[in-house]
Amino acid sequence: MTQHLPLETLIDYIHGELTPEADAAVHVHLTACPPCREEYAAEVQLGEALRASARAQEVEFPSMIAARTWERIRNARPGPLASLAIFLRPAIAVPLVLAIGFGAYFATPLGHAAKHDRTINASYYLEQHAGQQASDPLAERGPVPVMESSLVDTAPPAGGPNDANDAIH
Amino acid sequence: MGATRSPNEPPSADQAAFLERAIEQYGKATYNFAYRLTGNESDARDLTQDAFIRVYRAWKSFQPGTSFLSWIYRIVTNLYRDELRRRKGRFIERIPEDNVPQEFGGQRPLAVNPIDDYVEKQLGEPLSKALAQLSPEQRQVVILADIEEYSYQEIAEIMGCSIGTVRSRLHRARALLRRLVERARQQL
Repeated sequence: MTQHLPLETLIDYIHGELTPEADAAVHVHLTACPPCREEYAAEVQLGEALRASARAQEVEFPSMIAARTWERIRNARPGPLASLAIFLRPAIAVPLVLAIGFGAYFATPLGHAAKHDRTINASYYLEQHAGQQASDPLAERGPVPVMESSLVDTAPPAGGPNDANDAIH
Repeated sequence: MGATRSPNEPPSADQAAFLERAIEQYGKATYNFAYRLTGNESDARDLTQDAFIRVYRAWKSFQPGTSFLSWIYRIVTNLYRDELRRRKGRFIERIPEDNVPQEFGGQRPLAVNPIDDYVEKQLGEPLSKALAQLSPEQRQVVILADIEEYSYQEIAEIMGCSIGTVRSRLHRARALLRRLVERARQQL
């Protein structure tokens, strides 16, 4: 038994990370080698001390962590992509709404109905006008405007001034 | 993480219930793990909060039937590593890893009753101080292997490294720990 076990092998042995053959060989070696056994015991104690220390220093979970976690989730600011989407939302939404509006106007019966109503009204007036023309040809240009009528009324009677001159003369 | 959600998206009942249950069942373990990693309450609180927010956002990526504790320890480990990277340059905590090849075999210095008082908690404080002097990676691996008693494979998954890395870190960490504890004992 001239060769002692490397520390690495002992550490792997303690953690159960050796192959079954190597594990068995270390086990046999330890039973026959007091210095390696001592080293092994020191490594085992280190592990136990670490666990004991961790247990002794174990701390309770602060409730504020849960509260702050939820708070941060609620108040989380959107990421760059989400921010960009928010920024572009009006630029996307406005043309979209307009497109939908135009589409609805031209594609639905409502739009046609409105246009059709206007056509009927115009025809109606045209037909009425044609009817008036047919019944009264003199009223072709419609009723005489008030201004024209007043001019006619104030016009001198036929031969007025000339008659006056004739009278002087 | 394809199952992540926008933070301002209204939470579903399942998502909220998942987080509530996670905090209730694993809050203490997570906080203690964070506390051992960071060594102070303030950082442990922040780390725990960040970890649970990550759990909330990525709740759908958790695979039922697997260990939740391993999952959240992995989250905590990643967050802690990110935080250390952010602090790099203005926060010097770690000491260099012990890269000196250790000579064992026939010439190794045999421990002469080096830590026989540990179990009686006489070295609780020196042990804590020694643990605090390890590098973050070494401390993590010691906590996971010796306190939480995870296998090397599980530790590799939690820390996101190979089993060989876990093994070498643990060997160095324990050797350094013993030296630091020994030094602390002599100073007592």
